[in-house]
Amino acid sequence: MRKLFVYIVFLGLIVSCTPIPENVQHSNEQPPIYPDYCDVTIPENIAPLNFLLRADCEAIEVKAGILTLNTCGNEAVFDIDEWKALMQQSRDKEIEVTVTALINGTWKQYKPIKWQVVSDKVDPYLTYRLIEPDYEIWNNVQIQQRCVENFDVNALGHYEQLENRCMNCHTFANQNPQLSMMYVRGPGGGAILNRHGQLSKLDIPGSVYFGFSPSGRYITYSTQKIIPAFHSMPAKRLEVYDAESNVYVADIQKHRVISLPLLADSLKFETFPTFSPDGKYIYYCAADSVSLPSKIRNLQYRLVRIPFDESSGTIGTHVDTLLSPDSCLQTPRKSSVCHPRISPDGRYLLYTVADYGTFPIWHPEADLQLMDLQTGAIDTLAVVNSGKSDTYHSWSSNSRWFVFASKRDDGLYGKPYFCYIDKEGKAHKPFCLPQEHPTFYDNNLKSFNAPELGKGKVPFDVNDVAKAMKQEAISFK
Amino acid sequence: MKRLGLIGISNIVMALWTVAIWCFFQFWYPYHFFFQEQNQIFLCSWDYISTYFEKSGGLARLIGDFLTQFYYYLYVGAIILISCLLLIGTLLYKALRNFKVSKAVALILTLAMMTSVAVCHFSTSYRLSSTISIVGWGLLLWLVSLLPCWKKQLAVLALTILPVYLLFGLPEVKKLQGPDLILEKDFAVDCEYYFGNHDEVIHLVESSSQRTDQMIFFYNLVQAQRGELPDHLMKFTPNILGTFYKIGPETPMLTIRNMNELYWALGDMTFTERAAMMTNVFSHDNRNVRMIRRLAECNIVSGDTLAAEKYLRILDKTLIYKRWADNVRLYGKDIYQKKMQMVNRRDTITITDNAHFLMMQLLDTNSDNIVALDYILCSTLLLKDITNFKRDYDRYCIETGKPRLKTLYQEALCIWLAGTDASQEDWEKYIQRTEVFQRFQQYNQQRGSIQFKDTYWYYFDKIKAPEI
Repeated sequence: MRKLFVYIVFLGLIVSCTPIPENVQHSNEQPPIYPDYCDVTIPENIAPLNFLLRADCEAIEVKAGILTLNTCGNEAVFDIDEWKALMQQSRDKEIEVTVTALINGTWKQYKPIKWQVVSDKVDPYLTYRLIEPDYEIWNNVQIQQRCVENFDVNALGHYEQLENRCMNCHTFANQNPQLSMMYVRGPGGGAILNRHGQLSKLDIPGSVYFGFSPSGRYITYSTQKIIPAFHSMPAKRLEVYDAESNVYVADIQKHRVISLPLLADSLKFETFPTFSPDGKYIYYCAADSVSLPSKIRNLQYRLVRIPFDESSGTIGTHVDTLLSPDSCLQTPRKSSVCHPRISPDGRYLLYTVADYGTFPIWHPEADLQLMDLQTGAIDTLAVVNSGKSDTYHSWSSNSRWFVFASKRDDGLYGKPYFCYIDKEGKAHKPFCLPQEHPTFYDNNLKSFNAPELGKGKVPFDVNDVAKAMKQEAISFK
Repeated sequence: MKRLGLIGISNIVMALWTVAIWCFFQFWYPYHFFFQEQNQIFLCSWDYISTYFEKSGGLARLIGDFLTQFYYYLYVGAIILISCLLLIGTLLYKALRNFKVSKAVALILTLAMMTSVAVCHFSTSYRLSSTISIVGWGLLLWLVSLLPCWKKQLAVLALTILPVYLLFGLPEVKKLQGPDLILEKDFAVDCEYYFGNHDEVIHLVESSSQRTDQMIFFYNLVQAQRGELPDHLMKFTPNILGTFYKIGPETPMLTIRNMNELYWALGDMTFTERAAMMTNVFSHDNRNVRMIRRLAECNIVSGDTLAAEKYLRILDKTLIYKRWADNVRLYGKDIYQKKMQMVNRRDTITITDNAHFLMMQLLDTNSDNIVALDYILCSTLLLKDITNFKRDYDRYCIETGKPRLKTLYQEALCIWLAGTDASQEDWEKYIQRTEVFQRFQQYNQQRGSIQFKDTYWYYFDKIKAPEI
């Protein structure tokens, strides 16, 4: 219905006016397009990079390889079939994109931009939570799954069916849509585990951040007592910290929790656990406890790992430190490490660094860094990061792409950006998730929170989640 | 002639009834329209408009929200409402007549329908889109009634019922309720404050025989910005400053919005933004034009131009606020220059929205913030917390060399000085208004006397402090 309406409107607009450039004046400026798709690397399976020109123009012409688009107004919206053909034709090639705009009666052609199309595909499905950026209070929260190859969206969690509860953190095992988990909070809530479309409700006490082991039998998770706090300086806004946090492993086959004093040290904060792709280690972040919130600027997490034996379900006893706050981050100041995520091929470790604390979403200085686990070399990802928060990342199953939430546009609303890592390990300029309509992000008042990539569409929908919520929760020993 | 006369009578009755409804909404209930307008936003953007068609009833919601934006203008809300009612009435009456219902019965049913719909509009949660939905179904009924035989009528009904449902949905069924004239008074004060008619706020509150917390809250907010809060604090009891509220998941949307106004007046942009975002969360479609404006304003004040631009771009797409957005974009720094000086420049972290703490932070940054100063002092006085009043007075009035010689504060200081057996030197240091001292001596001889009802001493002795 919605699509039909959009098509009718656009068809009407296209038919009514399609001016063609004449007496074109050439400019050396890059086109002020939004989202910023200038000189980006894109996968061949991505949806059309629809954009708008931030200029008061009457019409635009966009030439991208074989495609020519003439339209009234400032919006470039590509036909999806023509786009697919362009992508197929341009695989592992560069497309030159020329934008010409009719501004005050004069056609102005901007400096051409490039789109590098790579045949390494990004996982086709992206799940995320849509929530207002101030996470304290929610209303109408949704977890959605979007096919990045087109514009199809379906809800995994929807406030209408789930009594307007808070929902968060939908995570796949190895990007596999047949095994995943999400939380629905509130009385009677729990972790909704999806195994081949069969949903069950688990009562894993206090679980917040989690990750699956390669076999899918175990999850490692952290429990935390989360405290929201406020900065008096308006530019800094919100701070969130943990008054307590520990790491555990849950055996989702035998419904038991495996704990180790080393991971639940009352004098330390342990958080953001994730299994290595071979299942031999649990990587997590740890910090010595400090008096909070007064000493929060002294709260820096280090990146550590502890062995794990998946065959016996036992945690090792020795913790290795991979990154400490003041030794390895190539910045003069101390930094705190958050959200370690290892690429599925085991080669790279992607994490966020911020000046302090454990909630980089509200830290404008929060940036991504990439560690080569073979050489230990760290890439500060200058081409990827922005002056605002860049964090909460997830890998594509082929280890060539990752997605992350960036607030680079306005400092408030997180949007999913995709970044390509080539075979040499070089990061390319990221691009924002394309939308059917280029003004979507301008009009949107929700953050794309916790984006996660998946190899396919999950085999359940919001009604199945609503049914699972009515089940008795399976408790863990 | 006779027939024409009868039709004329029906029309006249309907028209008169419509005028009566218009008069009620225009003269007794106009602020409900402003409330509706402020608690939604309609964007002239195809992306936004297309979202209306994600669910059934898209056309009704689209027309309803489109028209609601014009409630911004005086008289327009009531005119739109009665136009819809007239349309419903005409369609229903004509359809009933086509179905051979007698004129008298048709007229009675029509008036009952029009009245029911009008009554639904007494509720703040009832939206115009529901009325448009009724118009849609009325239109179908009328079209069907034009057909000559029942078989054709049934066939057309069967063919059109789904498209009409998809376009107009089903109207919201509300429990019928009477007009909430107390809430109307609350909205009146709130809207006049929002429109900047501060004299009208004072007039509305002072002339009212029945004052609500909301009315007193805005009265104080106006007086505080005039630097006259301490002059009027004892005027109404119990008094509401808003400084004892805390925002949580159960806080009503109106309270959160009020807190936004309070934080904005105080100059705390962190909490202004937080309250604005939370008001949005609980508004229709999670959007609220009043708060979008505020978000743009507070980000200009705090110097976050990227964030401000986000909201200004949204306002650019409205018919009503585009000019405002242009103006703020061009002259925002001049318009909000005074407010910018109030902003906290020091960074501390707090886990509470305790207003006392926030105001202390603002005053530590800028001791000239009279709004924060009066609110902090008046808040402690309402609680009869003389010790903390004296501490704050010393910190922000004595140590800064800017004594605030308001009668209220002098009276409160008398209590502290008397209670601590202060030296003559202290009395001379703090009490600089001899008439206050003389009156204090008189009060002590007639403690609790009603003739001192306007004094803080009377409040301290006789009135119950608010519980927090």
